[in-house]
This record gives sequence, C-alpha cells and structure tokens, in this order.
Amino acid sequence: MIKNYFKIGWRNMMKNKFFSFINIFGLSVGLACCILIALYLNYETSYDSQHKNAPNIYQVVTAFIQSGSKRMALPNTPAPMAAALKREYPEIVETARLLSLFTEDKTIVQYNPAQGERRSFLEQRGFLADNSFFKIFTYQFTEGSPVNALANPRTVVISQQLANKLFGSQPALNKVIHVNSNTNGEQDYTVTGVFEAGKTPSHIDANFFLSVNGGNMEGFIKRQQNDFASNNLFFTYLLLKPGTDAAKLQAKLPAFINKYASKDLKNIGFRKEQSLLALRDIHLTSEVDSNVTPPASKTYLYVLFSIAVFTLIIACINFMNLSTARSSKRSSEVGVRKVLGAEKSTLIKQFLGESILMTLIAFVFAIALTLILLPLFNQVSGRAITLSFSRDLVMFFEFLLMALITGILAGSYPAFYLSSFNPVKVLKGKLTNSLAVVAVRKGLVVFQFIISVVLIVASVVIARQMNYMRTADLGFAKDQQIIVPLRTGAAKAAYTALKTVLEENSSIASIGGSAYYPGIFNPSDNLVYKDGQTSAEGRRTRMNFVDDNFLQTLNIRPVAGRLFSPEFHSDTNNNIIINEKAVQEYGFGTAQNAINKKLYNKYQDNTSTFTIIGVVKDFHYEDLHLPVTPYGFFLNTSGFNYMVIHAKPGNMAAVLKTIETSWKKYDTSDPFDYSFLDEDFNKNYKADTRLAAIVSYFTVVAIVISCLGLFGLAAFSAEQRTKEIGVRKVLGASVKTIVSLLSIDFLKLIVASIVVASPIAWWLMNKWLQGFSYRREIDWTIFALTGGIAILIGLITICSQALKAALANPVKSLRSE
Amino acid sequence: MLSLQHISKYYQVGGNKNFVVNDISLDVDEGEFVSIMGPSGSGKSTLLNIIGMLDEPNDGYHYFVNQPVHQLKEKQRAALYKQYIGFVFQAYHLIDELTVYENIETPLIYQDVKGSERKAMVADMLDRFQIVGKKDLFPAQLSGGQQQLVGIARALIAKPKLLLADEPTGNLNSKQGEEIMELFRKLNKEDGVTIIQVTHSEKNAEYGSRIINLLDGRVESSRKF
Repeated sequence: MIKNYFKIGWRNMMKNKFFSFINIFGLSVGLACCILIALYLNYETSYDSQHKNAPNIYQVVTAFIQSGSKRMALPNTPAPMAAALKREYPEIVETARLLSLFTEDKTIVQYNPAQGERRSFLEQRGFLADNSFFKIFTYQFTEGSPVNALANPRTVVISQQLANKLFGSQPALNKVIHVNSNTNGEQDYTVTGVFEAGKTPSHIDANFFLSVNGGNMEGFIKRQQNDFASNNLFFTYLLLKPGTDAAKLQAKLPAFINKYASKDLKNIGFRKEQSLLALRDIHLTSEVDSNVTPPASKTYLYVLFSIAVFTLIIACINFMNLSTARSSKRSSEVGVRKVLGAEKSTLIKQFLGESILMTLIAFVFAIALTLILLPLFNQVSGRAITLSFSRDLVMFFEFLLMALITGILAGSYPAFYLSSFNPVKVLKGKLTNSLAVVAVRKGLVVFQFIISVVLIVASVVIARQMNYMRTADLGFAKDQQIIVPLRTGAAKAAYTALKTVLEENSSIASIGGSAYYPGIFNPSDNLVYKDGQTSAEGRRTRMNFVDDNFLQTLNIRPVAGRLFSPEFHSDTNNNIIINEKAVQEYGFGTAQNAINKKLYNKYQDNTSTFTIIGVVKDFHYEDLHLPVTPYGFFLNTSGFNYMVIHAKPGNMAAVLKTIETSWKKYDTSDPFDYSFLDEDFNKNYKADTRLAAIVSYFTVVAIVISCLGLFGLAAFSAEQRTKEIGVRKVLGASVKTIVSLLSIDFLKLIVASIVVASPIAWWLMNKWLQGFSYRREIDWTIFALTGGIAILIGLITICSQALKAALANPVKSLRSE
Repeated sequence: MLSLQHISKYYQVGGNKNFVVNDISLDVDEGEFVSIMGPSGSGKSTLLNIIGMLDEPNDGYHYFVNQPVHQLKEKQRAALYKQYIGFVFQAYHLIDELTVYENIETPLIYQDVKGSERKAMVADMLDRFQIVGKKDLFPAQLSGGQQQLVGIARALIAKPKLLLADEPTGNLNSKQGEEIMELFRKLNKEDGVTIIQVTHSEKNAEYGSRIINLLDGRVESSRKF
C-alpha cells in the first residue's frame, strides 16, 4: 500500500513539475535554514562541555553597585579573591585565576632557534593563568602534562597551532620563547606543554597561557595582596566539591565581602555583590559584560530560531495553498477511489504519503544545500561549525524526523480537505472551491506576507541603524587615522624620535601618542569628585594618557579652556582635560565654570588632585551602543601604547610604506603592525553586522519562497479563469483591465499583510533599537518604503501571470473548453 | 437482493422541498438486469447513487442483501459496499496517474487482498477482457471503448454481486457501445451478476430484463420482458 502511495505521489509530482518545483524548492530551502540554525544552536549550547568537571565549575561574578548609577555585573574580581575563597570555604576544592593580557590586542612572541633566523609573531588571546587552572579545566596535551605545567615562574603552555607556527614539526617541549607584552613586560618563557583545540568550543579561547609569576604582573599582584575592592581584573574560577549547592555557597558570599572588603569599598564609595555563574552558562549569559570571549545573546538565538521556523512555515503554506488550489484536479481521483472502496482514512494516508515523499526529496536537497552553505554561514556567523555524517548521525536522524514532521504538518490540511470530498458531487462535474477554503488560503497568504514584511522592515531598520553608526559624527576625526601599536620598550622609547621624523613628511598631517584610542577597551577608570564632595559621591571616569598632540590629531574640539600643547611647557600630569559629560555629572554647570576647578581621586589612602585646564566636546570613545560617560585626559611624555598618525588624503599605501621604513630604522626588532581607527571602531559592531547579514539573507529567502507561492497561486488562478478571460476579451475587455482584474485580489492580500505587519515590526524593531544609546528612530518612511517594496515584488510576481493570461488568444482558450 | 421502500431525496430551496427522488419503492432480485430510463433531471443517477450507497436518501427504507442500509453506520455500509457493489461510469473515471494494470488492481488494495493473490486476479481479468497487451499503458493512451473496458474490468475485479452502471455507453460510438452491452449481457447471463444501468438509449435499455421509466423523481412505468 505504501509503495502504491509513493508511486502515485511520484507520478503526480512528475506530472505537475511546476508546482512540484515550487514546493520542493521552498521546502528544501526552509529545511536547510532550519538545519543551519539547529547546527548553530547546537554549537552555541555546546560551549565548555569538554571539561570533565564542568558541572562543578563556577565563575565568580561581581556586581558593582553605586547609588545613582546603574548596577554593573562583570566577571572580574581582585587578585587575592581566589586564594581567600579557597581558605574560607571547604566546599571549594580548587580555585584558579585567569588574566587576559588586557592592554594589548596582540602580544609579540619570538623564538630564536640555534640555527636560522629569529621567528617573530604577533599573537592574540594570551593569558596569565594559575597552575591550578589545569586542575579545574580539561585540556588535551599533545606535549608535556597538565599537572604542574605552570607551577614554575616563566613557564608557558601554548596551543598546537602556535607550536606549529613557532617550531614547525619540531617538539615544543622545553624550548624557550621570548614574550613581549604591554601588560606583563618582556621575558623568556619555557614551554611546558602544548594543548590541542577542544572538540567543542570554550569561552576561554586561549592561544597561550603564561605562568602568573615571572612577569611584571607578579609584583602588581603582590602589592594587591590585601585589596579586595579595586583592580577587578581577574577571572576567578571555582571547582566545587561534587554535590555542593552553588546557591548556598553564594548566599555566604556577602559575609565574605563584609569581612575582607567592606573598609576599602567604603573608601571608594561603592558596594559589591558576588555571585556564581555556572561554567556551561557563561557563553549564554549576555548580562555579564566583557567576559573572556563575548557571550552570545539568548535573544539573538531565539530570533534566529524563530526566523528559521517561520521560513519553513512559509514553505509549508505554499504546499498547503497549492495543494488545495489544485484540488479540483485531484477531486475526481478522490471520487473514483472512494467509489472503489477507499475509506477517508486511507485517502488521508495517501495524501500524507505524498507530502512526506515531497519533504523527503526536499530533505535530501536541504542536506546538500546545508553542506554548500555552511562555509558561508560560518563566515557570516563567525563560527566554525562542521557537519559530518559519521559523527553527527544522531543529528541526521533528528533532522530527518524534523523533515517528516514538516511533511505531516504541510500535508495534513490538504489531506483532510481532499479526502473529505463527496464522490457523487466531484464525479458529477466541476468542483468549486468552497468559500471557507478560499478564505483559509487567503489567510495563509496574508500570514506569509506578514512574515515577509516584518523581515523586510527588520532588514531596513537594521541597515539604517548600521549605516547611522558607521557614518555618525563620533566627535573626532576617524578617517585617515593610522594606529601603530608600540608594544615593546624599544618601540615606546623610539616614539619621540619616530614622531619627529614622520612629522616632516608632507603627506602626514599630525601625530599623537596615547595609552588608548576610541573604539578599544579602556581599562583605566577612577572615581573622581570635586571640592566639597567625598569619594562616595565620585563619578566613574575613564582615563587616558596622551601627549601634547593627541587631541589635535583626532580633532577632538575644545569648548572651554585649552588643549595640551607644546606651547605650554608648564603642563604637568596634574592637569586634566575633561569632556562635557563630565562637567555635567560632576555638577559644574557650564564648561567655562569648570576651568581651573580642582578634581580629586582617592586610591587606597592616597588622594590625588587635578586641575581642569580644558573641556572638550563629547566624543564617542565607545561604540554607539553605549552612552558617553565622564572622560579625562592626562598629559604624559612617554610610555604610550599607540602612535596615532593622521594622514592627509592621498596615497595611503605610500604613507604606510614611509612609516614602515622609518619604523625599521628605529626599532628593527619588532614586527611593524598597524590598523585603521575607523576599522577598529567598527569592529565593535561585529555582532550587529552579523545580525544584519543573517536577517537580510533570511529576508531574501522568505521573500523568494513567499513569492514562489504567490506565483503558483497566480498561475493557477489565471489558468482557472482562462475561459472567463476569453469571454471578456471577446466582449472587448482590454489587456489592462484583465491584468488589473487578475491582480487586484492578490494585491488586496499584500496590502492587508502590510497593515497587519507594520505595527508588529515597529514594536519588535523598536525593542531592538533600545539596545543602542544612539539610534535612528523608526519613522513612517520605513513603512512607506517597505510597503512599496512588498507591493512592487508582489505586483511583479502576479503581473507576469496575469499578463500571460490576458495576452492569450481568446479563440484558443474558448475552443479548448 | 435489494429493496427500496418509499425512498425520497430532496433539497431544501427556501421553504420548499425540491424533490429529486420522490417516494420511490423498488425491489430488484438477484440475477436481474434492470435499465433505468428517463429524461434529464428525472432522478436516474441519484437513484443509482442511492442504490450504490454513494448518496443517502432523506426518507425511506433501504435493504440490501437483507441488511437495513438506512440503519447502518458509515463503516458497516462501506464494508457492505466494498464486498457487493461495482461501479461503471459514463466518463470511465480511470485514475490518470495509474496504468491499466494498477487501475484494475486498486479496489483489491482497498479490500486488503494480498499482493500475490492480487496479481493472479488482475492477470485473470486482463486475460478475460483481452487487454493483457495494454496493461502497462496509461488511460490517456487508450481509446474510449478500451477505457470503458478497463473501467468494467476494474468494477468486476472484486467479484461484486451487483454492478451499477451510469450511462456506460454515453461517451462511446455505437459499435463500441454495442460491444459493452454484449459484455453486460454475458456477465448477467453467464456469471449471474445483477446489473442496474442508467441509460438514455432505448436500444441499450432493451438488453435488460426490466425497464423502469422515471419522470420528476417518480416511477412512471415499469415493464418486464
């Protein structure tokens, strides 16, 4: 019997190639979308699953609470926290600290082989880690052993990838490498282990781990031995005894803070709350900011999942609509079969068999499509997802199950509808679709277009916001700015000389030096307060240390007072330039009013005093997701992390060449590296860019599938009305009136969906835009544009069919009846 | 074999009942060959459909092989129908997507006959109708007469006791029609199949053993030969 169903299904499919194509294409694409998103979700939820102790590992999260400002949760703690926690609570088996080399984006790693040239690389994702790190986390070592790998000072554990880069095919163990870090200084390290990449992703995507002891941070940590309040730089991980209730332990932590940190916290004026974040939850907890790697937003995952499901639903609707629209063609078969003794249930099974056959064929295409699209998807989503038949066999069965369910869902409505025909009626003659079925079909078309219109609005809003962020006035000149990192002592020392030489170049406008530049992480912040206030009333203020030409180079404009400048040799590092936001938050009223006023900062028991010499216009040192907050510049003469070179418009390649030549002259040991300020700034929009790309791809897919469905229905409707059109033409109707006659019904549906979709889209996208402090609000033009696009696409789809029908020779169509 | 008593079928039009079949009583014995005649709209086909259980009357009693059809549930009626009744149509109503062989086989599938048995029965039927050579053709590849032959073969495959035919020769030329009628007579005489046919043609009606004339849903006359 089943063989029989499939046979009929197959023959029907081959007979109606056009409709089969629409259905199979739609279902293939819909299923492929779902499979891709399922793979993505699977990947995102598999983070940190390779660690044997995963269920018992927790990260310590610190919430900073200051009256008057927003609660801020960070995954960081001060240095002594880990050891003290272990001492205090027996349920904590082990603790480990992890510190990213936070002041640099790249670290210089060098190897000097006995023979041959020195190898020098700029490496990302370097960390300092306690020896206990490898007791808590599971890493597969290909060389050395995780036991006590980082016990000795100046030891390093490197990734297989880095080992290959440094040593080629030679063993890495016990080789000595030279690591030059902005954060940790310049030392030799002995390789004690090589680990291979985990089978599943981890939120710690380390390239190499340095021992905590042996570098500049060792001294810093020793000095912080009793400070439980400030310098929250360390990721602290706890391994709990199996069976420990993390919530109970968390409940004890306020007492811990009270015991160790209350005095210091009082001094600087904020409160702290500690909480424990389970390892497996880290990647999907976007509420905790700036983790080791950026977390994935659960909302984004939900959004992606819904879009994929909706795409599949659109394809299912095509199947339902085309099946019921064509039902008159199948009706006599239903009648005959019933006369031959078929029961309704048998017919339902037959029609379901056909839809399942169709989805199974679509499934094969979908798998092929997935394999083809996976590289593109990885590129767009920034992940490394793979699919292999042998490894993911279970998943394949799940996908197959998904396809079967899709087939049943898509086929059930047509199956029940078709099998309910009364044989006497259908065999007697023509079957006209009942009004109810036509209404359902129209409703489904409207539903499809609601989804499409919402997606179009989303794409347009996201694209506008992205464009706004890329082109917004950031308050400084972001174009033509070359950033040259000064990573080593030698490079830092060469800054002044390099600057002098390059400034003479006619294609360079200006050069400045600084600790940080807009768009990158700025870890220096202090609570700053004015006369008559205490530290508790202080405002968190980001700090930057710049030379006397940095503000001019970035064209950050003064509104009161003056900028640092070579003309004022008397400027010392007690002078400060603040932004307008700082003026407002400290409560000076006007910028002019703030000039020459004093500001204070209390650190441990020392109070520093600064004099305001200038106020600059607010500028975006962080991306437009975040509001501008108080910011202060201090004058430094040396020790800059970055040289910022403002090139005049013209030949950028030549300027870069000039800089490189001069660089090599002054600092031959460091590799020359540079980036562009605008590109660095836009890196902050990576997640948004991804979302924009994914949503626009899905929008195109959804529109294509919807339009194919519409196309099919229009074709069918035109075919069904061939006789009517013939008669009308004979009676003198023009092509124009016939085209509008055929199009108007469908256009009404599209207009209806625009009307329904607009408020939904407005609500959703408005919510999305709330995530940006600076945004381009949604206005009516978006809906006008979207409506226009939807109607245009719909018209093109329908008109081709309407035109074909209208242009047909009426003699022919009337004779064939 | 079957007995209709005071059968009526009507449609409610406004407040009036529009009778298609109006209080018809009719008995048919096993082995009869009945022809139903009458002008268009006289209720011939409706009556045939009621006899064939494809349509339900609004009033009256309907007995078939001593079972009260009007009291049976859908399932039981279907079972009764499957076992005893075969249908032949004016428009043949073969399934376009199935071959001659598969069309004939279909009723057996719905009666859950085993595959090997089906094969033997269909082969037998093809042989008997001398259409073995056409078994793999699709209906569109056959002439009208050949299609109707397949239609009859399909109606007979499950060995029904009663064959209902709704203008079986209506779409055929006179020669083809004659052949079909000869076949009906043979089935009736040699195999003892009871046949009820609806026809417009006086000549075809005379193949039967009784002619019933309908007018406006009522039996106008009935004559036996």
